[in-house]
Amino acid sequence: MLGLVVCGGSRHAGAARRAGDPGSAAEAVAGLCRRRREHLCPMPRCSLYSLCLLLCVLLPLYNNASEPEGPAPDPAHYSFSLTLIDALDTLLILGNVTEFQRVVDVLQESVDFDIDVNASVFETNIRVVGGLLSAHLLSKKAGVEVEAGWPCSGPLLRMAEEAARKLLPAFQTPTGMPYGTVNLMHGVNPGETPVTCTAGIGTFIVEFATLSSLTGDPVFEDVARRALKGLWKSRSDIGLVGNHIDVVTGKWVAQDAGIGAGVDSYFEYLVKGAILLQDKELMSMFLEYNKAIRNYTRFDDWYLWVQMYKGTVSMPVFQSLEAYWPGLQSLIGDIDNAMRTFLNYYTVWKQFGGLPEFYNIPQGYTVEKREGYPLRPELIESAMYLYQATGDPTLLELGRDAVESIEKISKVDCGFATIKDLRDHKLDNRMESFFLAETVKYLYLLFDPNNFIHNNGSTFDAVITPYGECILGAGGYVFNTEAHPIDPAALHCCRKQKEEQWEVEDLMREFYSLKRSRKSTFRKTAAGPGLWETPTAGKDASALENQKVMNIKKDSRRGVPLLRCPSQPFTSKLALLGQVFLDSP
Amino acid sequence: MSLCGGRGGGSGDQDGGEGGEGSEGSGGSGGGSSSPAPTGPAGLLCQRLRGASLMARRRPELLCGVVAVGCALLLALKFTCSRAKDVIIPAKPPVNFFSSRSPVLDLFQGQLDYAEYIRRDSEVVLLFFYAPWCGQSIAAKGEIEQVANRLADQVLFVAINCWWNQGKCRKQKHFFYFPVIYLYHRSFGPIEYKGPLRAVYIEKFVRQVMMPLLYIPSRSELLDFLSNYEPGVLGYFEFSGSPQPPGYLTFFTSALHSLKKDYLGTLRFGVITNKHLAKLVSLVHSGSVYLHRHFNTSLVFPREVMNYTAENIYKWALENREMLVQWLRPHGGKSLLLNNELKKGPALFLFIPFNPLAESHPLLDEITEVALEYNNCNKSQVVEQLLQHLRHVDSSTLDSLVSNPPIQLAESSSITESPCCNTVVLPQWHSISRTHNVCELCINQSTGIKPSKVNVPQCSFFEIAAALDSFYLKERTFYQVTSDSIECSNFLSFYSPFSYYTACCRTMNRGLMSFTNSEEDIFQSPPIALSSHEKKCEVDNPTSVPHIEESLPLFPDVDINSTSITGLSCRTNKTLNLYLLDSNLFWLYAERLGASSSTQVKEFAAIVDVKEESHYILDPTQALVKPTLESFIQNFSVLYSPLKRHLIGSDTVHFPSQHIISEVTTDTFWEVVLRKQDVLLLYYARWCGFCASLNHVFIQLARLLPPDKFTVARIDIGQNDLPWEFMVDHLPTILFFPGNRKDLSVKFPEDSAITLPNLLKFILRYSDPISTGGSSADPQTKERLQNEAVLQKGHIAHLEKEIHKLRAEITTLHQAQAQVESQLSDARRDKHRLQKQKQTLEKQHSVLQLHSEQLEALYEQKTRELEEMAAKLQELADASENLLTENALLKILVATMEGKLENEESEKSNTLRETLSHETEIQSRDNTKLATNMSSPMASEQNNENRTD
Repeated sequence: MLGLVVCGGSRHAGAARRAGDPGSAAEAVAGLCRRRREHLCPMPRCSLYSLCLLLCVLLPLYNNASEPEGPAPDPAHYSFSLTLIDALDTLLILGNVTEFQRVVDVLQESVDFDIDVNASVFETNIRVVGGLLSAHLLSKKAGVEVEAGWPCSGPLLRMAEEAARKLLPAFQTPTGMPYGTVNLMHGVNPGETPVTCTAGIGTFIVEFATLSSLTGDPVFEDVARRALKGLWKSRSDIGLVGNHIDVVTGKWVAQDAGIGAGVDSYFEYLVKGAILLQDKELMSMFLEYNKAIRNYTRFDDWYLWVQMYKGTVSMPVFQSLEAYWPGLQSLIGDIDNAMRTFLNYYTVWKQFGGLPEFYNIPQGYTVEKREGYPLRPELIESAMYLYQATGDPTLLELGRDAVESIEKISKVDCGFATIKDLRDHKLDNRMESFFLAETVKYLYLLFDPNNFIHNNGSTFDAVITPYGECILGAGGYVFNTEAHPIDPAALHCCRKQKEEQWEVEDLMREFYSLKRSRKSTFRKTAAGPGLWETPTAGKDASALENQKVMNIKKDSRRGVPLLRCPSQPFTSKLALLGQVFLDSP
Repeated sequence: MSLCGGRGGGSGDQDGGEGGEGSEGSGGSGGGSSSPAPTGPAGLLCQRLRGASLMARRRPELLCGVVAVGCALLLALKFTCSRAKDVIIPAKPPVNFFSSRSPVLDLFQGQLDYAEYIRRDSEVVLLFFYAPWCGQSIAAKGEIEQVANRLADQVLFVAINCWWNQGKCRKQKHFFYFPVIYLYHRSFGPIEYKGPLRAVYIEKFVRQVMMPLLYIPSRSELLDFLSNYEPGVLGYFEFSGSPQPPGYLTFFTSALHSLKKDYLGTLRFGVITNKHLAKLVSLVHSGSVYLHRHFNTSLVFPREVMNYTAENIYKWALENREMLVQWLRPHGGKSLLLNNELKKGPALFLFIPFNPLAESHPLLDEITEVALEYNNCNKSQVVEQLLQHLRHVDSSTLDSLVSNPPIQLAESSSITESPCCNTVVLPQWHSISRTHNVCELCINQSTGIKPSKVNVPQCSFFEIAAALDSFYLKERTFYQVTSDSIECSNFLSFYSPFSYYTACCRTMNRGLMSFTNSEEDIFQSPPIALSSHEKKCEVDNPTSVPHIEESLPLFPDVDINSTSITGLSCRTNKTLNLYLLDSNLFWLYAERLGASSSTQVKEFAAIVDVKEESHYILDPTQALVKPTLESFIQNFSVLYSPLKRHLIGSDTVHFPSQHIISEVTTDTFWEVVLRKQDVLLLYYARWCGFCASLNHVFIQLARLLPPDKFTVARIDIGQNDLPWEFMVDHLPTILFFPGNRKDLSVKFPEDSAITLPNLLKFILRYSDPISTGGSSADPQTKERLQNEAVLQKGHIAHLEKEIHKLRAEITTLHQAQAQVESQLSDARRDKHRLQKQKQTLEKQHSVLQLHSEQLEALYEQKTRELEEMAAKLQELADASENLLTENALLKILVATMEGKLENEESEKSNTLRETLSHETEIQSRDNTKLATNMSSPMASEQNNENRTD
């Protein structure tokens, strides 16, 4: 009833688009962007519209089929609050502060995790824990009254912690790798299958490390790291991981290796974890995988599926979920490869107006039973990252195409329906949670270069906490795999602040007094190079750990700094509008 | 009901439907108490719901409740309609894509068969296959319409929806992208158009399909045809005999064929019918085909070797053609076009605004001229002839404007100017780590209006001063002059739009600088250069001004040895390939090479050398005309090139409001880095994840350090080029430039974590105390004291800031304390309450226990009683059993007795029987008495138990 009332008002004639704009493609797309932004929030009472969208998620009845890494079907009320949490920070990024505040209130009153529900550990983590954490960290920006200990405490953080604690029983396995499903009230069910997909094991470090840093309880980060180590040990001789593994025995059940469904966010979290935590170990793991992926799965800038032990091609398909890869590559500075792969994927989009779940590359067509496009965000996500890097109007063109597809194909009276079959654009009666949480968000961010999320460090907030002063909101947000942004500065604020503060104070005293005292000692310090480096290794908490990794990897990567991006080659200036350059021979 | 009506009336102004219902309701109440019962509850429910939604609209905090209601409704819906699980909506049926008034015929249901049918009636047809959801199709729609509006009378435009899966088109065709544009020339086709989706380009192509052959009637048009920058194929056919000479059709088809293969239309096809004209290109026989080449010998199609087919002609021409200048038109998809072209060697990119439909392209002709000269190594006669023709064309088309072709003038002019000049030595402060520059600065007041009156025997002091000012403003232009050659450059005077200054700079050794009198020696050669330069400029002005925009009053500068570039391509080891790009389409590349994004005239030239990883640009303030282009090419080709690698910097320097970290660009790099203080420079890029996540560390650092003594700066290396020596391989990289010794920059070690303490240690390690700056042996005590005082002041400021922060911290701590205390008191209250509850519970517990004990006792008592009863019952049962057996015995006895007595006393039998029956009756009555005695206590006990329960 409410949904219909609200949506009746929101229906508006699709803004007539004059394509004959004589300006350049970029101008046309920029104009489009402005109109799009209005379109996504068409009414003055946008709040109701967004709520309408939320309700629409449930209107298409819950369908438990088809999602590759899919969750077990949860009761409707659980899924409802899940969607509410999931779409929360989208509201803020779209600039709707009042609605954000209201939903925060609703959540605090209504959400209860002490329910008898079998929930997917992976989904609960990325949507609920991730969504609550990002909402917690953004709540000050949204004008929510925060308590004194923020960002290291707060009601949403406590909710996230509560939700995460419900997941901890799943990690009690011999290998440290978690079960796929857990009952929120009773823990792991007795007859639970021990087979979990790779992504379901390696997709915790961003949320759990954030949680550990903010709350000070290391248990979350520890279990996440243990799970990652479990996977790292299980990789094949040629350095690949399969699709599903038995978490009790550590044996691979599905041995297809690739970068798509079932594996995707594992690689994503290795990189994002490395960025978020400035962690060399995670990065060295990723670089090893990256090498194997390039060697065995890459063909003409496509990434295929191979047998994880032999490296032989098992499925020459491109999956819609794989489209996150260019974005990930651009984060670590591999922009030319990213662009080449992106352009490949874009041709698929142009063929169908969306990305089919599976696309057979040699045949150039969809794969039987995998023709759907549930409005997934991955390609748009990559476009957003790449547009930040290159400013190539081709990427805005993808954005335009996505907006056209979403509006022309999937828009129904109330919400945006999943495309059931890309060949004829049949629609399914459902709208996925990630459409609001991710697709809309990334699309908006692609067209909005001045969004606070894109802050490059030119503005920031100085927040006084009981533990000292923190610099927050300085940009560099790390998105979890469900597009919930995490501010790396907040982690630093709650984790390091206390130890660091006094050290910094001592150094500052030296900075001022040194001028006199050092006159005598200067020669000495100059004589001993590396004098200041020795205390560094000792002081830094993770340094020991890092050194260990470095020792292991010493032979393979000497002199290549791990946590650095390579600077771009000269040809990158001209690598625009579809032009790509091969590595110079 | 009346309430319902009242509310309905109240909300009537909001919504038409509600108002109507409301009036209905009030009408019902007005009708009296006999309102129909069944509609009552339903109406009330509806009213409540509406009320709720209204409330929600007015008071948003109630939305939560509404959400709950909605949720409940949805849940209900879910259970009721769970059969509707697999609802699949078919795609929307196709609708018109073009408007009905459009000249384009829109077959939005994909009627391909109909398209084929109507295609037969037209000579030239354009088929536009689209998908309604495709952004590119939507964008191209307007362009197609534009073309159709101009050509609708000659060409049939048909748009076909090739997506709808019920349509014929979708069933027959399989496209990988949209839109697809097919052209048909009668039966020949399809010719796919793959060029830019712009109306002018499409129209040009359609016109080419309409007329694939160019008819050449005269000598001048033949020269036109041959002197074009694109290769041309000529066919000679005599139309005198037959209406269609043999081979003509094949030639015609091969022209269409080339359009099919080469959408750029670079191969042009011409037809000669005149015998005399044909002789000029040494064609004698009708039906022969000729491929013109500028530098190699031109070819005639070898009929003896190859079959005379359309395909062969095209192939032959394609294989043997000679590319003078090549258009680059990236199609937007993934392509290696630039990669392949740039790998061939240094490339000169010329960005010009190009209208394919325009009759003449003067700029393009000039470029062709340059290209011809540049490649004309063996001074071939044909090329000379064509060049002559090109110049002639210039003068004939621009007759009214151009008096003399430029080249001739360059030789003939003999006006010598003695401009007023002044020698300027660049000040020392901007020549760090380089040799000094000396510039000859001249004032030229030559204008386009009065070129002959330029006559400045002496110049006023004011003019020289103004020129000097202007020169210093421009000094960046001369900043990087380091080579030995003399580089001249013009720049605009701010005082008059028509006058300009010329500065010719050269570099000298320090040693030479000491001789202040040596200027004459140094400038021994320049005077010649300058004079030659001057006369060139003077005479060039009138020729070049007319077809440059008026907003460009600057004049080309020409290198000293402006002999000519004829055949330069063979004399240099840095041979350039020339490329044209349409700046209407690809200005973005120009911007990436350093052109301005907001410029009016979109003309730009750049030399890109991928091997050297450098590029050079023609000064954007100079017009792109032949002389500038020639000197640009020459400057690139000479051994010690005066061209400097162009560094691109972001011009939009947005200093953040919180001005803490200096944002450095290419232009401000030296200024910031060479500040007389310690500078910490961070190299970053927007896209690098590792950089962005460290923003907060640098902000903290910048806030800690005193801004007047220490600069924390950063440079976005993705948008700002730097000289090689300052480039870095990885990001983020941190360089430290100590205040007093800028040449000793230090790099933050890459393997240590970038944290605040580490950065501070790094700075402390390498920063130099200010007081020891210069490490003078005897530091003046006063200065030292002053420095110390400054330091102390800084320290005090820092400490004050810290104290401030600590105060703020204390307040937050207080807040937190208050929060914790309130939580604590809450907890205590809770605890107290819980304890109370516990006590009451315990009390209740004890009472209950007592009660249960009592009950237990009662229970035991009752069980005991029950047992007793049971025992009694047992006794009674035994007794009754005895009695029963006795009874049975008696019956048997009676029976036997009866048997006996029957025979003995038949007469007396009646009386005896009576007595016997009496006895048995008494016995049975006894039995029943016993039974009632037994059941009564049991019933009473049951009653008791009922009560206790």
